Amino acid sequence: MIQHFDPRQHDRDLGTPPPSPAADAAPVSVEIDGVAISVPEGTSVLRAAALANINIPKLCATDNLEAFGSCRLCAVQVEGRRGTPAACTTPVAEGMKVTTQNDRLARLRRNIMELYISDHPLDCLTCPANGDCELQDMAGAVGLREVRYGFEGENHLAAETDHSNPYFSFDPSKCIVCSRCVRACEEVQGTFALTIDGRGFDSKVSAGQDEAFMDSECVSCGACVQACPTSTLMEKSVIDAGQPEHSVVTTCAYCGVGCSFEAQMKGDQLVRMVPYKGGDANHGHSCVKGRFAFGYATHPDRITTPMIRESIDQPWRPVEWDEAIAFAARRLTAIQDQHGRESIGGITSSRCTNEETYLVQKLIRAAFGNNNTDTCARVCHSPTGYGLKTTLGESAGTQTFDSVMQADAIIVIGANPTDAHPVFGSLMRKRLRQGASLIVADPRRIDLLKTPHLEDAQHLPLRPGTNVALVNALAHVVVTEGLEDHDFIAKRCDTEAYRAWRDFIAEQRHSPEASEATTGVSAEAVRRAARTYATAGNGAIYYGLGVTEHSQGSTMVMGIANLALATGNIGREGVGVNPLRGQNNVQGSCDMGSFPHELPGYQHVADVAARGRFEAAWGVALDDEPGLRIPNMFDAAIEGTFKALYVQGEDIAQSDPNTQHVEAALSSLECLIVQDIFLNETAKYAHVLLPGSSFLEKDGTFTNAERRINRVRKVMPPLAGKADWEVTVDLARALGYPMEYTHPSEIMDEIAQLTPTFAGVSYDKLDERGSLQWPCNAEHPDGTPTMHEVDFPIGKGRFAITEYVATEERANRRFPLLLTTGRILSQYNVGAQTRRTDNQVWHDEDVIELHPSDAEVRGIKDGDWLGITSRAGQTVLRARLSERMQPGVVYTTFHHPGSGANVITTDSSDWATNCPEYKVTAVQVEKVSRPSEWQRRFDEVDRQQREYLATAREAAS
Amino acid sequence: MSHDQGQTLVHMVNQIAANLSGGRETTETVEGVCTHLEKFWARAMKQRIVASLDEPDSGLTPLARQAVERLAERQTAKAG
Repeated sequence: MIQHFDPRQHDRDLGTPPPSPAADAAPVSVEIDGVAISVPEGTSVLRAAALANINIPKLCATDNLEAFGSCRLCAVQVEGRRGTPAACTTPVAEGMKVTTQNDRLARLRRNIMELYISDHPLDCLTCPANGDCELQDMAGAVGLREVRYGFEGENHLAAETDHSNPYFSFDPSKCIVCSRCVRACEEVQGTFALTIDGRGFDSKVSAGQDEAFMDSECVSCGACVQACPTSTLMEKSVIDAGQPEHSVVTTCAYCGVGCSFEAQMKGDQLVRMVPYKGGDANHGHSCVKGRFAFGYATHPDRITTPMIRESIDQPWRPVEWDEAIAFAARRLTAIQDQHGRESIGGITSSRCTNEETYLVQKLIRAAFGNNNTDTCARVCHSPTGYGLKTTLGESAGTQTFDSVMQADAIIVIGANPTDAHPVFGSLMRKRLRQGASLIVADPRRIDLLKTPHLEDAQHLPLRPGTNVALVNALAHVVVTEGLEDHDFIAKRCDTEAYRAWRDFIAEQRHSPEASEATTGVSAEAVRRAARTYATAGNGAIYYGLGVTEHSQGSTMVMGIANLALATGNIGREGVGVNPLRGQNNVQGSCDMGSFPHELPGYQHVADVAARGRFEAAWGVALDDEPGLRIPNMFDAAIEGTFKALYVQGEDIAQSDPNTQHVEAALSSLECLIVQDIFLNETAKYAHVLLPGSSFLEKDGTFTNAERRINRVRKVMPPLAGKADWEVTVDLARALGYPMEYTHPSEIMDEIAQLTPTFAGVSYDKLDERGSLQWPCNAEHPDGTPTMHEVDFPIGKGRFAITEYVATEERANRRFPLLLTTGRILSQYNVGAQTRRTDNQVWHDEDVIELHPSDAEVRGIKDGDWLGITSRAGQTVLRARLSERMQPGVVYTTFHHPGSGANVITTDSSDWATNCPEYKVTAVQVEKVSRPSEWQRRFDEVDRQQREYLATAREAAS
Repeated sequence: MSHDQGQTLVHMVNQIAANLSGGRETTETVEGVCTHLEKFWARAMKQRIVASLDEPDSGLTPLARQAVERLAERQTAKAG
């Protein structure tokens, strides 16, 4: 099933997908136009011909969709068979002799084309698809010279165009009803928003119930646009700009799926992003963000000039790069001279490349001389690092995304893949349509449960904050009902740890009956779920921030690992423990040594041998004690012992919990250096603002949730003249620690030299293979798609005791409701990018979802303004009544800074990693008539800081 | 909500001790908490929590206190 990147395979459309599973299929020998070829059993004649470089004309066939056989253009003749079967729906058979071109077939194809063209506008010269139209190509290929029927007959030429979607148009007058869009929506995306309405001549593509695209269930993933062979579904950016003239394969900078895209360009103008078929993470699929929401990269809000100021109540002063860097270096040095080596630190970015992240932590460790480095994984997946390293020995997910296609039972805990990891969500839904069982543990009824053909899905609607009680109950059932995989445990797991865990988990207090009152999930449902997972064959667990962002996030991760170990669901395809990572490079930023206690490759700073290697390579002595984590930095800043912070590409003022505490910390700093593409919330507290570069403006690599290292390739020059890594190099030099790099590939070479799991990674190898999954070294020269196949990095798998400890953040009389937070498909995280695109049309404000029964007792109606108060603060959002929530639980998103979702989240955090407990906040809601005090103050600060920026911009121009 | 750093650190150790105590012997818990602090806490945080041992009502739970005492011994040994 695992197939490596082969560049030759992706340049062409082979007409139909490979038969699956290709590896086991017997070879079949056929002869096509006299050319002998051997292909796997189940391959279509169309694909076999294409593999032999014989291109049979086709319209309704494309190799990412199942064969459909509607256009009949690929008709062929088979020796010994009657008629002219369609090559796309005819599988090869041993000894088959196929003719693809002769007079009879030519006449047939011409006749077919003639019918198509008799109902098609002949405006090819002014058509947006001109130069990229399969209908035009096929008319040429079959030699169509006349249309005997004329163009006056009944036709669809007057059909009206639907412009409702901000990114693409639907012009039904150009539609040939090949159904590729309908099938892409079903097979690739799994949304089923499109259908063919009517019969015969009346057949037409229809979104929803014959609605405009925007009013239908369409999620704007772009699969239909990509599948359309004509200009019926066409990107508005191509309608405006014309066909691109070159393209560069690169990696999306949104979520942790890490889709490969072709950035299609005209000079240095990005015309469109087309998902790359050769991308091993996405296989040619995309979502609305990666596919369409790239306009932020050239938005007028981009910061293009370095700026400095003495204090944050002063206007910005635009300066040259040299002056800004010298100013920053001077301040950092002065602060260290006065307050000590440990008084400064930095935050690396999960948005930037591996190379850039590596350099920032190197700057901190080598030039600042301390380990005060952290990254936004602190607030999302740090418990994954801790929990998986403790149990399985490596801080990463165990599988490839493709592995889900072998899973028989899928557990999704605290994740919402169709919104937050949409391309993987589509793959998972494909597997669910094939019949895999689904178990969702989530307080909220997520969209995955709405997938067609899924009546059997199990939903465990647990109370927020009771994950560990639930996972213990699941494990209790496995152990007490004899569902363990004893062979696996005996062979692969540490015996002593297993015995201790088994005694612990078998205790009656962990039974589903005992924990029912805590979790709110019926014992029967828990037992059924455990049986499904343990007995289905391949059981796979996928989880997200609903697992990690709790006071017991790390415990829950270990509980998940226990469950997988106990059932032997580790070490092969179709199983595993799979964290769905949030940011594009959050895996990479952790791998690159962003945490205060670990050098790159998760090597502890106290490890003498590892530290020695870095000291030798970097030419400095390194501190052997861990540094401060982000929340510790904030506390120390407020206390007055931490004075300066260098933040690359992260908006801590919006994304971190308890906003007012963060604001107090940032205001206490004597020097805050922010490097970002926009004036984000954090930058409002900065003294130095260094322009960042978008992912389109630099070379580098991102590592996705499946440990896949993908290349990021520069397609346009940096708007402000420097890529982020160059800025860090300049700052290091100004601090007296010169770094000599001329290209990010040299940084990767250094990473490979110092990080055992990256030893085999280089840009040359990435170009050759497309991508590599670490560990990639002498033992695994081609990378490691599936982890722990033979043994664990710690030898044996270690079961961990997972005692449930109730969170201190619990509902009481003053705060009777539990608030939990999440994401929505169209917006991304703090929204800095997506709010600056047309994705705003889907979600231009954050709302608070609550159950009608909670609303009723408070006299709340849909659309009312609600004040939401926690012990940390208050904010005001509009109400939306929804039965997706259970009574007692309310839900919001955090994509808009003015919403102040994090004004109410508290600084309660995971015991092991201090990952904030975003997912549980006790709140009260009530009807109000005006914004909260914080929001009014926010608006004031926002207005003031924007004014400073505008003044600086005028000065610069 | 208090943000006194000393109190925050005490709260953190207590939380670690609570999570590492269920289903384990006391010695195992104390060792686990102490190792956790050694591995993940910054120098200044360690010094601060060790100093809190001298405060009469530091707020440390008994297990947390034992772990911090062990940390103090090991830090002294390391420095010496």
